[in-house]
Amino acid sequence: MGLLRWARAASPWILHFNTGACNACDIEVVAALTPRFDVERFGALKVGSPRHADILVVTGPVTRESEPRLRRLYEQMPEPKLVMAVGTCAISGGVFAGCYNVRGGVINVLGKADMMVPGCPPRPEAILEGLIKLVERLRGIKKR
Amino acid sequence: MVLSLNDLIAMLIFPGFFFLILMAFFLEWLDRKVVAKVQDRYGPLMAGPAGILQPIADFIKLLSKEDIVPRGANKVLLTAGPILMVALPLTALLFVPIDGQSAIVDFEGSLIAVLFILILTTQLVLLIGWASANVFAAEGSMRSALQMLSYEIPLALTAICPALMAGSLSLSEIYRAQAELGWPFLAYLPPLGAISFLVFLTCSLAELERVPFDAPEAETEIVAGWMTELTGRRLALVKLGRNLDFLLMASLMASLYLGDPITPSLPLLAPAAFILKTLACAGIMSFARGLVARFRIDQALHLFWTYIIPISVGVLVATKLALLLA
Repeated sequence: MGLLRWARAASPWILHFNTGACNACDIEVVAALTPRFDVERFGALKVGSPRHADILVVTGPVTRESEPRLRRLYEQMPEPKLVMAVGTCAISGGVFAGCYNVRGGVINVLGKADMMVPGCPPRPEAILEGLIKLVERLRGIKKR
Repeated sequence: MVLSLNDLIAMLIFPGFFFLILMAFFLEWLDRKVVAKVQDRYGPLMAGPAGILQPIADFIKLLSKEDIVPRGANKVLLTAGPILMVALPLTALLFVPIDGQSAIVDFEGSLIAVLFILILTTQLVLLIGWASANVFAAEGSMRSALQMLSYEIPLALTAICPALMAGSLSLSEIYRAQAELGWPFLAYLPPLGAISFLVFLTCSLAELERVPFDAPEAETEIVAGWMTELTGRRLALVKLGRNLDFLLMASLMASLYLGDPITPSLPLLAPAAFILKTLACAGIMSFARGLVARFRIDQALHLFWTYIIPISVGVLVATKLALLLA
């Protein structure tokens, strides 16, 4: 299904969720959406509802408080869905790994992260490149 | 009635369903591009030349996504709602003279029928939001219903002004009357035509739930409003329906206010001119989206009930008086 793969790769709608970040990564994610970098060029839209999203963009270490919410958000998204961890904290917990209130990175909670963008915080270019690489991989996703 | 091949082509291809749906996709692309330009961005760029295939890519992608009906939601309504959401504006668009001469379905009173369909669309929003079994969706649909109570009255009152000027309630007849008169109703009986146009524009923005009247789907407050629980095919159809609504309001504006004396008699230029006028009206509405912030729902109600409704009543009375005196 070439058409379907093209359509999926051309319109990755993202849902941004902060699991306890210090806001640095959030600012960079927002910067990727705004004029200088403009992620809408690639068809990406920031949506408010997990029901509309294709890619869950997570920033920050997953705290015990946000863990059930992250899980629920992920479960509410329709298939096919992808997870993108933005920033060192979202990948592994970063400097907060091992804290009493931190469960670690996204991969410790959801068991998967389709794309990891390291950095503290990663620059918008890095986030864009991560998104584009993810989109390229999206072309290959089969319907389950 | 016997359907000829010409009727069939008019119904299905131009200016019928195929063309209307393509136009709806094109309008969404135009809308996103205009807003992007206002915000100093590029907007969609990668899907097709200058991103023109972006709405179609979105549509196909949404069609292929998983279909989720939340527990407690009314599945029948959630299925019927989006289908009607596309069917209603498509029906209304058959009454509009898209080819610049005469609508596919033309009868005395088609303006009233279109206004009625517009109300039905908003009722549908209420139904979908209510059937979703979600607090955000219910809140969004309540806001939508509240907003309907405020804009529907001035919308109908100002739409009657061009009908009074033309002496007819048929949309095609109103468009033709402007050709015979030699003036678009926008510039007729100045400044009454212009005021009526501005009020109609404001009400259209509220009807379409576009900025600054997008409180029913305010994503910063209530997730995605009444669309919150829609996934996959349902969301695709609802989005297409909203684009068709956008096309409907823009073409209504073009047919009610922007007639001209030259083009309707020329065979090829007539549709081109009408479509250009429609695009101009859509462009104005898109421009507004890039320029202004959102009204709270109470501010929107206040604006309509305190200012817009008295103005629309005044314009209607003044138009009738001016026509009597002239």
